[in-house]
Amino acid sequence: MTAPLKQFGEADWYETDLPPILRPQRPRPLRALAILVLVLFSGALIGISSAYFIIERERPLMAVKIGPWETYPDAGTADADPYSVAIYTRGAKIPLASGEGVELIARTDSAGNKLLPMCRYRIHGQTPTARLWTLTATNSSGRLVETLPGRSDLTSRQLLREPDGSFEITASTTPQPGNWLPLAAAPFTTEGLLFNLRLYDAPVSTGSALKGVTMPAIDLVDCL
Amino acid sequence: MILSRMAKPHGALTRFATIRGSRRSGPGNLITGLLAVLSLAAIVHILVVLTIPQNATHSAYSNAARFGPDRAFNLLPDVVPGAEPLPGLDPAMKHALCRYQLDDGPVLFTASIPVPFWSMGLFNTRGDTIYSVNNRTAGSETLSMLVLTTEQLSILRENPPENLDDLIVIETENTEGFALLRAFVPHPSEAGQIGRALHAASCGLLR
Repeated sequence: MTAPLKQFGEADWYETDLPPILRPQRPRPLRALAILVLVLFSGALIGISSAYFIIERERPLMAVKIGPWETYPDAGTADADPYSVAIYTRGAKIPLASGEGVELIARTDSAGNKLLPMCRYRIHGQTPTARLWTLTATNSSGRLVETLPGRSDLTSRQLLREPDGSFEITASTTPQPGNWLPLAAAPFTTEGLLFNLRLYDAPVSTGSALKGVTMPAIDLVDCL
Repeated sequence: MILSRMAKPHGALTRFATIRGSRRSGPGNLITGLLAVLSLAAIVHILVVLTIPQNATHSAYSNAARFGPDRAFNLLPDVVPGAEPLPGLDPAMKHALCRYQLDDGPVLFTASIPVPFWSMGLFNTRGDTIYSVNNRTAGSETLSMLVLTTEQLSILRENPPENLDDLIVIETENTEGFALLRAFVPHPSEAGQIGRALHAASCGLLR
């Protein structure tokens, strides 16, 4: 049945010898436009949202980690990476310059668990040599929160120390004996917790000597 | 016969259509589309990150204008919860800020603050550190520092002021910037005295 037809060449008149890529295509403007719009839209969406999430995280990339403490030696200098520059200019942050001191931030305790404002922490050990240091408790975006005594910082000058120079600080919402670092008075409405340790006029800030220095440990005691 | 001839091209046409359809949305086309999306996303990501510094409406430099006139140390309000004058300041310190433009002439910083620790950082409009000093590295109890451009320095060299040797001279190409002076407050009772010392710090013209 088909054989005679094929001989006449009437059944395969539509079959071309051209490879698929060269065959003429019916233009499909709506479909092409839809694909183009989809590609442009999703590309822009992914690009903008990924940039937003990295910048909004407010954590510069080139971090030096010492236990739970992090510092960004390049942030706020001309050598900073574009992400740090974007984070610092967008947040209007003024960095602690290297001739002034070094700022270390802890977001987790020594076990690696996120710091929570409703918990009690024991910060103990020693800091690198510095003429002066301050320890401040803030919320996760680095802003101060209301505390019971009105202060949210401790300085090295008002600290009670052990005979060997080490110290033990208790960070808690409620008053504690010894060195007390007050945390948020309303811990359940406070978003996150981080500790800022600022070492002023510290030799570690004026060199790459940050690796291998002793930093205080942060241990979780209990939670409310 | 007629029926079969009618049916035949029709079946082939659908086959043709499926071949063409598979060419348009096969796995190869999907990968091309994903690559296009990813490369576009990467370009947009880089552009966004690089243009944020230019588009930031509240840079530290523009925020600094809120606290008072340029070319004078303006005492910042105390760093208290909910009313921090600038983000990331230490509540144990008192701060004073001076914004300057070198087009008006070199800036001479002088300060004498009776505290165990003070420091000053110079920043450009992007918030990058140009120079920083503290009361130990300043070499003396008082700060005296001159900030100027390269041209201003060459003019100054022709007719140097007498106390040039005592000054820390900072040459910079950033004609706009600000200085942040931080002074440690050992006890709240000293805050008033330190505030007055910060207010008395000068950020003026070289005479």
